[in-house]
Amino acid sequence: MLAEALDHLVRGIVDNPEDVSVKERTHRRGSTLRVRVNPQDLGRVIGRGGRTATAFRNVMAAIAGSDSVRVDFVDGSPQ
Amino acid sequence: MTEDTLSKSEAGEVVANDDSLQPNVDQTTKSDESSELVTEGDTAADYLEGLLDIIDLDGDIDIDVENDRAAVAVVEVNSGELAQLVGEDGKVLDALQELTRLAVAREVGHRSRLMLDVAGFRAQRRKELQRIAASAVAEARAAQEPVRLDSMNAFERKVVHDAVAEAGLNSESEGSDPDRYVVISPA
Repeated sequence: MLAEALDHLVRGIVDNPEDVSVKERTHRRGSTLRVRVNPQDLGRVIGRGGRTATAFRNVMAAIAGSDSVRVDFVDGSPQ
Repeated sequence: MTEDTLSKSEAGEVVANDDSLQPNVDQTTKSDESSELVTEGDTAADYLEGLLDIIDLDGDIDIDVENDRAAVAVVEVNSGELAQLVGEDGKVLDALQELTRLAVAREVGHRSRLMLDVAGFRAQRRKELQRIAASAVAEARAAQEPVRLDSMNAFERKVVHDAVAEAGLNSESEGSDPDRYVVISPA
């Protein structure tokens, strides 16, 4: 549910929504969400001074409730 | 496309009835501006509805235009259910507004000043701020001295400036974020 929510929120703001993917890894005390976006959209999802990345993290933390959630953004260009 | 159709029908009306032309043009210009804001509201509503569906929360979405801005409110269906999307001091709401503005900007091609409210949080905060502004206005009048308020965010300062102006006094913001505050001057 967390990954799906973040996927929706990220797709809505990027120019290349088809290149967005979110992988969720669960640990004992929470989870890590790794977001891959088109390299051209990386700046947009991070934002000036990390402002947009912080907004994503705040919203995801609120949805996760008491579970801890980590959100990473990575360049999703083909290797 | 629309413009083409419009000028054709205008040309027709010039011949048929000269008087009807002017009001029609005015109406079209006005509705173009507000229809842009309605598009902003619709885009925001889709974005937020999609989120609510995924996280399985109920909310009614109201779309409005206030002071030349799109205003979107997510209204609670079950009391307290959306509190997590407001957060402490509206921190989560501000983050959600930020993301919603970006989603709208991508759709309309320019920055959006859309205002988002969730569970009436901003509406209630606005009332509190109007009370604060009213008592500061009274204090400035009585003491004939400037009154300095606590630091506030941009939305809060705007509400205070509007309330002070309505009361007929002047106010200015001083300091820099996040410690920016409003100073109200006696008339």
